[in-house]
Amino acid sequence: MSDNNGQINSSNALELLLEEASLKGTYRMKRYPGKKFFGYFCSYFPEELIIAAGFEPLRLLPDSENSTPAELPGYCCSLAKGTLDMEIRKQYYDLIGIGFTHTCDTMQCLSGVWSACGQTKTVDIVPPVMLNAPGAFSYYLAETKNLMMTLSSLTQTAIKESSILEAIKLCAHTRSLVTEIDNLRSILPSPLVFSILRAGQLMPRVEYVKALEECLPDLKEMSSKNLHQVKILVSSAVLESDSLFAMIEELGGRVVADDTCTGYRHYSGNTVWGSVNPLTDIVQRYSEMPPCPCKNRSLNERIHHLTTLAKHRNAQGAIIIIRKFCEPHAWDAVSLAESLREKGIRTLTLELEGASVGGQERTRLQAFLEGLLESPDL
Amino acid sequence: MNEVREKQSNYRPLSSKKALQKTMGRYYALTNYHRYWGKIFRRPLAWVTSGAPVELLRAFNIHSAYPEQYAAIYSARNATVALCEVSEAAGYSQDLCSYARSNIGGVLRPDLAPLGGMPKPNLLVACNNICGTVLKWYEVLARHFKVPLLVLDTPFLPHEFTAQAKAYVLEQLISMANDLEKITGCPFDEKKLAAEMKRSREITSLWIETRQYCQNSPSPLNAPDLFINMAPIVVLRGSKAGIEYYRKLRDEVKQRAALAQGAIEDERIRLVWDNIAIWPQLFSFYKMFSEKGACFITDTYSGGWAVEHAPGTPMESLAATYTEIFLNRSPKYRANQLIKLIEDYKANGFVMHSNRSCKPYSLVQEVIRKEVMRETGVPGLMIEADMADPRAYAEEPVRNRVQAFLETFL
Repeated sequence: MSDNNGQINSSNALELLLEEASLKGTYRMKRYPGKKFFGYFCSYFPEELIIAAGFEPLRLLPDSENSTPAELPGYCCSLAKGTLDMEIRKQYYDLIGIGFTHTCDTMQCLSGVWSACGQTKTVDIVPPVMLNAPGAFSYYLAETKNLMMTLSSLTQTAIKESSILEAIKLCAHTRSLVTEIDNLRSILPSPLVFSILRAGQLMPRVEYVKALEECLPDLKEMSSKNLHQVKILVSSAVLESDSLFAMIEELGGRVVADDTCTGYRHYSGNTVWGSVNPLTDIVQRYSEMPPCPCKNRSLNERIHHLTTLAKHRNAQGAIIIIRKFCEPHAWDAVSLAESLREKGIRTLTLELEGASVGGQERTRLQAFLEGLLESPDL
Repeated sequence: MNEVREKQSNYRPLSSKKALQKTMGRYYALTNYHRYWGKIFRRPLAWVTSGAPVELLRAFNIHSAYPEQYAAIYSARNATVALCEVSEAAGYSQDLCSYARSNIGGVLRPDLAPLGGMPKPNLLVACNNICGTVLKWYEVLARHFKVPLLVLDTPFLPHEFTAQAKAYVLEQLISMANDLEKITGCPFDEKKLAAEMKRSREITSLWIETRQYCQNSPSPLNAPDLFINMAPIVVLRGSKAGIEYYRKLRDEVKQRAALAQGAIEDERIRLVWDNIAIWPQLFSFYKMFSEKGACFITDTYSGGWAVEHAPGTPMESLAATYTEIFLNRSPKYRANQLIKLIEDYKANGFVMHSNRSCKPYSLVQEVIRKEVMRETGVPGLMIEADMADPRAYAEEPVRNRVQAFLETFL
């Protein structure tokens, strides 16, 4: 992972990021023996507090799309089934705890199922669903304070304000570096960018930042710009592999805008600091970040945000992924597709069992992208 | 026709059925003709979720209609598949809630919907205490009808109802009252709300009392009775018509209990039901049990409306009552609730409907089933179906499982 001087060079840094993205947190104890990891599921779980408590945030991703733990019915998403199966197989024995955020109904239920049949300690935070509702901010702040106390109890040490501030700054720096990469999407291969972003949710944060800083200048120099590639916006829930992005690229597309839970949406939005109470800054960030379909800031804010993003990035097409049994994204898919089409952006809605794409998806993606490539308007 | 079916199903029909038909018939007539009288009497029409704080709407003279209730009727009248296909053709996944899909189908093609579909709303009111789906569903409706959407966000309770959650829900209710003042032009009158709450409490007490008679053996009611007779408490909470109806029902059930008249002949097995009814199979499904002497003496679904109102001012009571409902609670809470029902009603077993359309109800059922069996020692059966969409119901596998389950009681 490092050269003789203990410094990582650009090539090694990129290699490290890609390796971490593909390992998805496995071998973490071997690779980072001194670190304590805390698992979480959703971007609304404030990673600043995990870091301030002295832990490394680890996004939990399934190692299989075909797991069928007896505790969940078949009509449940493969993210929930796969991760619960890993818990039952004791894949998370080393984690300090696992954080659940109330976002979708499945996550809400998974928390209860997990605490009933798993071994790892579960920690809940229930953010408001209506982020702009009267009283939502105060409520969210109190929930965040409770979370901080629960995390403190895991180490028997109070989390210091200075630690929170440091964590906020570290997260802000991470987000700023990731935003630089997000802005390079048109010149970088889509699966590469997606992998780099996913790595940031799976490896120790300081190491991630170092690796990003190291490889960013070379990434800026990298030019794979292909004028004939179709610019695409992708919207989806969690995607634990690059399979979709690789196929889009292979078929002549380039993902220029990424609204996926494990992609840029995880990092998007402003990070603020400087308030008397740093928890206020954390709540402000999570209340104001571009919402996922489980949250509501106003009726059409998410749709407006995505149509604007697509226009801003000159997207010629949009691919909306519905992960099987993922209800919030399935609900938004219809209105989002209509709005994108009204803006002149051709849209394909694709249902996937997990994160991987196969022959059936290839046929649909190929037809969609070929249609765009051959369109006289584009 | 129904009577023939009831006789075949080993049923003792309720004589208050006529009163139920009259009460609900009047409600549906009023609702479906709202366009003729709503403006004249300055009573806007709201589409509301079943867990919305309807007493507050009634305090503003708002007439409420329930898409979930209509969806159950669509299903009982075999219209769900056609309506779901309409919404699926419009892009809504077949994995989404069948109530929502059939409702949207009815909005897009009212000609396919029983009762001519629902009349157009003036506003929408959703409360996410029952699921996150209602928010997404009502967002779709708000975009379609271009009417105001008011949402009451009741945080999920992994443990207790916290002080911050109470304050949050209360603040939203106060804000909702302000919004309703603007929409209706009526000032908020706390005394009127208190009167609505009082009537609502009375209906709830009558429903609780009626259900408690089923602790007798034989039980005077079976699951289909509970499901059919819950309609007024859903749509007429706080109304005089609702109170009158439940008094009649209570008297009849009380008398049945005194005379030891069971809902089914020769009750031998007492069961508890968990989850929403299988509406398209309402009689045929439960007949598999009643013909073997198995009676569903209580259930968690219609029991959701048999909960005493929380204390406090009218607004505080609304906040707590609507946040603390069982679907907004942890699996541990729900397991304890089921254990208590089994003990109070002296049940021999329980049946869980793993309902593809209702994830908050269903995803946690297996861990609840194991815990309840461990704690009570009674067997629990899980069957997979859907509350409204008959395409998700596989009759033979269900029948085999039910038969094998009932044989364990021989």
